[in-house]
Amino acid sequence: MSLLSKIRETVLCLKAGRVTLPYPAEPRPVPPRFRGRPIFDAAKCIGCAGCANNCPAREILVHDVCQELRIIQYLGRRCTFCGRCADVCPEKAVTMSHDFETATNAIADLSQRLELFMSTCQRCGRCFPEPSPLERLKLKGYRFDDVASERWIFHSKGYLDAESTVADIRIDLD
Amino acid sequence: MAAREKLGFLRQRFGSAIVRADLTSDRRLYVFVEPRSVKEVCRALFRELDARYVITIGADDRPWSGCFMVAHNFAFDRDRLLVSVMCLLPADSPRIESISDVVPAANWAEREMRDLVGIEAVGHPYPKRLVLPDGWPDGLHPLRKDVEWDEAPDCDDSGTGYDFDDPPEGCTVVPFGPFHPTLDEPAHFRLYVEGEIVRGCEYRGFMVHRGIEKLAESVLGYNDIPIMAERICGICGCVHNVAYAQSVEEAVALRPPPRAEYIRTIMLELERLHSHLLWVGLACHIVGFDTLFMQAFRVREPVMWIAEKISGNRKTYGLCVIGGVRWDITPELSDELKTVLDKLESEWHSVARAVKNDRNIQRRTRGVGVADAKVVKEMGLIGPVARAAGVDIDCRRDHPYAAYDRVGFRVITAQSADVWGRLVVRTDEVFESIGIIRQCLARLEPGPIQTPIKEDLPAGRFGLSSVEAPRGESHHFVITGENNRPRRWRVRAPTYQNLQGVPSMIRDAQLADMTIALGSIDPCFSCTDRIEAVDVRYGSVKVWTPRELREMAKRPQSGRDIKDS
Repeated sequence: MSLLSKIRETVLCLKAGRVTLPYPAEPRPVPPRFRGRPIFDAAKCIGCAGCANNCPAREILVHDVCQELRIIQYLGRRCTFCGRCADVCPEKAVTMSHDFETATNAIADLSQRLELFMSTCQRCGRCFPEPSPLERLKLKGYRFDDVASERWIFHSKGYLDAESTVADIRIDLD
Repeated sequence: MAAREKLGFLRQRFGSAIVRADLTSDRRLYVFVEPRSVKEVCRALFRELDARYVITIGADDRPWSGCFMVAHNFAFDRDRLLVSVMCLLPADSPRIESISDVVPAANWAEREMRDLVGIEAVGHPYPKRLVLPDGWPDGLHPLRKDVEWDEAPDCDDSGTGYDFDDPPEGCTVVPFGPFHPTLDEPAHFRLYVEGEIVRGCEYRGFMVHRGIEKLAESVLGYNDIPIMAERICGICGCVHNVAYAQSVEEAVALRPPPRAEYIRTIMLELERLHSHLLWVGLACHIVGFDTLFMQAFRVREPVMWIAEKISGNRKTYGLCVIGGVRWDITPELSDELKTVLDKLESEWHSVARAVKNDRNIQRRTRGVGVADAKVVKEMGLIGPVARAAGVDIDCRRDHPYAAYDRVGFRVITAQSADVWGRLVVRTDEVFESIGIIRQCLARLEPGPIQTPIKEDLPAGRFGLSSVEAPRGESHHFVITGENNRPRRWRVRAPTYQNLQGVPSMIRDAQLADMTIALGSIDPCFSCTDRIEAVDVRYGSVKVWTPRELREMAKRPQSGRDIKDS
């Protein structure tokens, strides 16, 4: 009885043969739907910040330097490649690439920075057509995420002033 | 109309103590009870009507009703009914009589409620901290609404010892965990051992409590949470993802389109397939049978690949949004999935035949880790553990969700109540899952995969969802809220209940049987509380103290901080 099952198990192993793949000596192609690192296209981006509002990991920062210049910075540190940014982008400026070998010694290598010319935009949020009310832009107006220390600040203002918004939020930096 | 029957019984028995009752459907009953009668209502449900205990939820409802809220959830599996016994407690004295002496399974949940929400269970038999670390300041309850999500108090406990119980007379303490090569998760068992025989244990866990519920209630949005929910578990992530979406959909009466329900069913069963194959392999690995461990993982790999083709990821499929799913199954993927299933079925037949007749595995697992039907009832054990003890419960059949009411399958049970029984149950469930996916693929009707949502979701509604994870029932409870996020979201993973059955599984058993009895828990002294960093150029040694490490963890992380050294 037991011997028979041992023979069965041996046959099982012999029939399987070798199954290990030569990766990473040879690259392994990924399926078409594979979700790798998101790539942000500055030429297509209109700066609506829909991706930043709907990023579950809060990995996309938005900072308005002045009336004409908005910085959108993707950090890539704890991004889980869920693809929500690509889902909600009205301009298809975010694509989920097939790039998954992202190990690096300097985590800043993974970040992407978009410096966008915003014309005379008032940041009313109308250029972001939300797929449903659940994705509606919560932060309209000007945003002041702390790009320097890579901190997300869920706060916006209807106007730009000289004082930085960062100061009125309680942040423990050290 | 089982719900009306139960409500009639409670009304007749408790009269005016039943303040309010919401029957949202035939399958859901929310009973609001006077706080003083909660224990007796629970006793009547659990002992007289033979309900199964699910979970206890504490919620801070002060901003809305001015009260704290407690809900004890029970399930009537044969009647397809989930009952929530709720009560409101005054904000100035959040105290309620403990039900743990009537319902032993409520032990952890009541301790967690005290830790996180600050609702005291008066008369609890073992009122020790469960979730919060020993050094956490008293009176600070993280799930209260007046506590910020990023509150980080000083929890330095380096000066004090750990708050452990004394072992019984004549027993030696053998620490298990928190880190060991075969230990999947950091949990610490202090085993009281007499010779080779385990007499009892103390459990300390929750070492990687991540505060996901707090994040969901204060920072994330409705559609961000599914992505976060599937990170609760690395194996049954999709279960939490679906369970959350379903509980919100139930709360706001939103029905996903049929195609989305079938796709959810398919992905849940794919997840069950890979999880069962993984577990059978792991169980073989623990008893020292690595050949079958390798074969189980080989057979499992195509399941991971097809999941990757459908969802874009081997695990963490990112499947659900509120009202539907994100990934469609095209005809090509459907054909490919069928091929994978055919191959898997024939291969698993040969593996299962080998496992079931292998006398070595039988000798190693028969009569080990016994949890009989009585333990299952008292401790609220679920999933394969319950089914292996002959308790015929399965949420897929008892509380049907997604498309499970439209497919046929057998619920596999065994009578031996031991590890062998669990192995048989999980091995055979693989074939049922294959059958379910085939039926879903055959019935997959064309149509949309998301229900459009036109308006904001209404606030203050309750939603319950039980989803049968590979390991047992995952139960989610949601109170919808304002600002596009829930007020309260409580997750009860299957291991939460099953771990509470471990002490009785290992009592009076051989120490060497612990490993397989606990599935993946093994003894180890590894309570290292510091790290050494050696500078190779100078040979100097710097020892980091716990306080320094904690400070380092609080500092904002940025790429520039990390340098090669």
